[in-house]
Amino acid sequence: MKLLLKQKEFSVLAIILIITVILSFVSPVFLTVQNWLDIIEGNTVIGILAIGMTLIIITSDIDVSVAALTTAVTVSIGYLFQFLPDNWSSVVLIFLIAPLIGMLLGAFNGLLVSRIKIPAIVVTLGTLNIFSGLVLYITNGNYINSTNFPDSFLAFSNIEMAGIPILIYLFALVAFGTWFILKYTLIGRSVLAIGGNAQSSVRVGINFEKVKMFVFSYMGFLGGIAAIAQTSYTSAIDPNGLAGMELTVIAAVVLGGANIHGGRGSIPGTLLGVLLLAIMQNGMILARIDVFWQNVVTGAIIVIAVSYDEINHRRNQEKLSNIDVKEAS
Amino acid sequence: MSEYILEMEHISKTFPGVKALDNVELKVQKGEVHALIGENGAGKSTLIKVLAGIHGADEGGKYLFEGEKADIQEPMDATLKGMSIIYQDLSLFPNLSVAENIYIGRDSKKKPWTKINWKSMKKLANKALAELDMDIDLNKKVELLSIAQQQMIEIARALAFDSKLIVMDEPTSSLSSGEVEKLYNVIDKLKERGISVIFISHKLKELFRVSDRFTVLRDGQYVGTYDVNEIDEQGLIKKMVGREVVYETNKEKAETGEKLFEISSFSKEGNFKDIDLTLHRGEILAITGLVGSGRTELAQSIFGITKNVQGEMWLKGEELKISSSEDAVKKGIAYVPEARQTQGLVLEQSVINNMTLPIIDTLRNKLKLIDRNVEKNLTDQYIKSLDVRPAIPELTADKLSGGNQQKVVIGKWLSAQPKLLIIDEPTNGIDIGAKTEIHKLLRRMVNEGIGVIMISSELPEVLSVSDRILVMSRGRIAGEMNTVDADQEEIMKLALDNEGIESGNDTKTPNGTHHQEV
Repeated sequence: MKLLLKQKEFSVLAIILIITVILSFVSPVFLTVQNWLDIIEGNTVIGILAIGMTLIIITSDIDVSVAALTTAVTVSIGYLFQFLPDNWSSVVLIFLIAPLIGMLLGAFNGLLVSRIKIPAIVVTLGTLNIFSGLVLYITNGNYINSTNFPDSFLAFSNIEMAGIPILIYLFALVAFGTWFILKYTLIGRSVLAIGGNAQSSVRVGINFEKVKMFVFSYMGFLGGIAAIAQTSYTSAIDPNGLAGMELTVIAAVVLGGANIHGGRGSIPGTLLGVLLLAIMQNGMILARIDVFWQNVVTGAIIVIAVSYDEINHRRNQEKLSNIDVKEAS
Repeated sequence: MSEYILEMEHISKTFPGVKALDNVELKVQKGEVHALIGENGAGKSTLIKVLAGIHGADEGGKYLFEGEKADIQEPMDATLKGMSIIYQDLSLFPNLSVAENIYIGRDSKKKPWTKINWKSMKKLANKALAELDMDIDLNKKVELLSIAQQQMIEIARALAFDSKLIVMDEPTSSLSSGEVEKLYNVIDKLKERGISVIFISHKLKELFRVSDRFTVLRDGQYVGTYDVNEIDEQGLIKKMVGREVVYETNKEKAETGEKLFEISSFSKEGNFKDIDLTLHRGEILAITGLVGSGRTELAQSIFGITKNVQGEMWLKGEELKISSSEDAVKKGIAYVPEARQTQGLVLEQSVINNMTLPIIDTLRNKLKLIDRNVEKNLTDQYIKSLDVRPAIPELTADKLSGGNQQKVVIGKWLSAQPKLLIIDEPTNGIDIGAKTEIHKLLRRMVNEGIGVIMISSELPEVLSVSDRILVMSRGRIAGEMNTVDADQEEIMKLALDNEGIESGNDTKTPNGTHHQEV
């Protein structure tokens, strides 16, 4: 129990519970199944991206190009839709092609980070601008609406199983798959190891470059899946629709207990982080709190969470550097 | 079949400008505990890094493991062959579980998507821990364990790899005495199983407790290998420091004036305790000791980098309250850190910008802008007086040699006209000619009335430059002497753990003797 209390996931869960209780008094709508399904479905894109971001942050890097990358894939999807037949093979094809495009874009980030060894923040700031610049050039900043979308894709978007929208299943699948990779595969172990202690990981034979390459490519891969989710959710493609979302994604991961210094972070934690941001936003809308205040509150929670983490981190470092001073005799 | 598990002969390693190892030999028998000893910088770590495949040795050496040529390209090759190295800073992953830490590395040559079998992983970890009589929850994260337990996890990892040779680099430096005894028992157990251990430590007493043989290195050279029965502590110390004298010991007793700087009962938990120190006008005080004895921490506390220090300080009879390095500079204290490239200089900036950094506030003209002319003149003056070469003020600092960089750092602090200069390892990594120049410079500064405290682990430097020597050991002052009366062996004895020495025959300096006012 003491161990459980110490886990950061627990404190996030506690905050979620408290907010839930408060909001359920503020608005009778809040604590309904339908509202929660809406919240989760509406945050599928952020959630999928946050899962990919978790791996990157575990290796003590960051990717600020995720929103631009995802948008680039949605635009590609929009153009592909013009050529795809109106049957179920289109859906299958999109699920093959979109993640592949995303993965290639992510691999480009990975290559610059791991081979040329440019800090990830610089690389992804650069690619953010490249991706979004190209997107605006190609689309002229215009919407692509659903008139060209295959009916099969629109039908796919509306599927519900046991009353739960298909996107939530997709989200769950991504979460489970990534959790499995982290816990049960060698590459997942290597991701954790590099974040935990980069020098030691080289001593035990882990290929640093390959792992960096993997986390950025995997981020791109999930960006592709998030692009499908976004297209499906909005039934349109908005070249500016995701602008700035990378910050929400990173915030969710950090709230979920991942440490910017690397090593710490988990899929359940990130899911809680996403959920926390989502219900706060939902709750404040229900409570009719001004949009500006929503940002202030969200920002404040992030700053507090990260400060708490940073102070803890430094305290641990200090303990490690102590010398065994001889006692007087 | 040879009786040796490891045979390294004629091993040399040259780094740009430095010969770190020169024709070194290390032969370890099967099932023995072999101690590798030498002063700071003697080449122990470099030798281990060559053994581990982190550094490749120069051509021409012989390196056999189990009688066969050891072809080691990367650290994992050594591990897979049966050599495990337990570094002082440990190679553990704080965020992973005990079981994962023991198992990690086994699959490193397999495909990235290989599935991890938690069951067999736990089984293996359990077996290794059982062999060490350890009872630790396999699911516990390593960051929650004590240092002693973490060390055992490393040993368990070595056992899980079926290692035949385990290298332990300063394994006892952060253990309590009870934990140390447990470690010895484990080492005895390893020995019974025919596993060889290379043990690196500065604590002579414990070396005599665990080791069968000693190999001594000095200044990157092989001194010899000795059986535990044929040598005693005194003998080992002699071997460690018995170098030909490169510098003359400073035989002149300095004309010391009144007290310039004084600290009393300085303590910082986990760093050092009850430090008293006095510096007189016109004298260079050397503080020496092993790395990790608290020397640098002491200097950083005087300079206000380390905070929450207990004790009192006086400079020129005035009590000092320093809570930040900014305070320290204002009161006339300058500190030249050991890592001059990362902490002392802005490498990408010009010599001018570096030199005037501490006094930039005073160089402003009426418009509160920096007066470039004054700045340039001042820099020219220092370049001339310190003989910085090449004498180009606009050159960026990274283009200068180590010795000239150090001169710029010193010049930078001279421009602030300090009353006290603390300089940490002033000639680390500097060639011999430039060393002498820096030493002369320090003497000149003292003659001009600046107090100098020099921290150095190079004994010849300490002896030739200073007037008085303080030896630190494990966060305390272990002894003090006038340089005229000092010799290397005596200093070494104090710097090494003096508990170890006390039990020997020679107890000239009883344990716990504190520095007394001269």
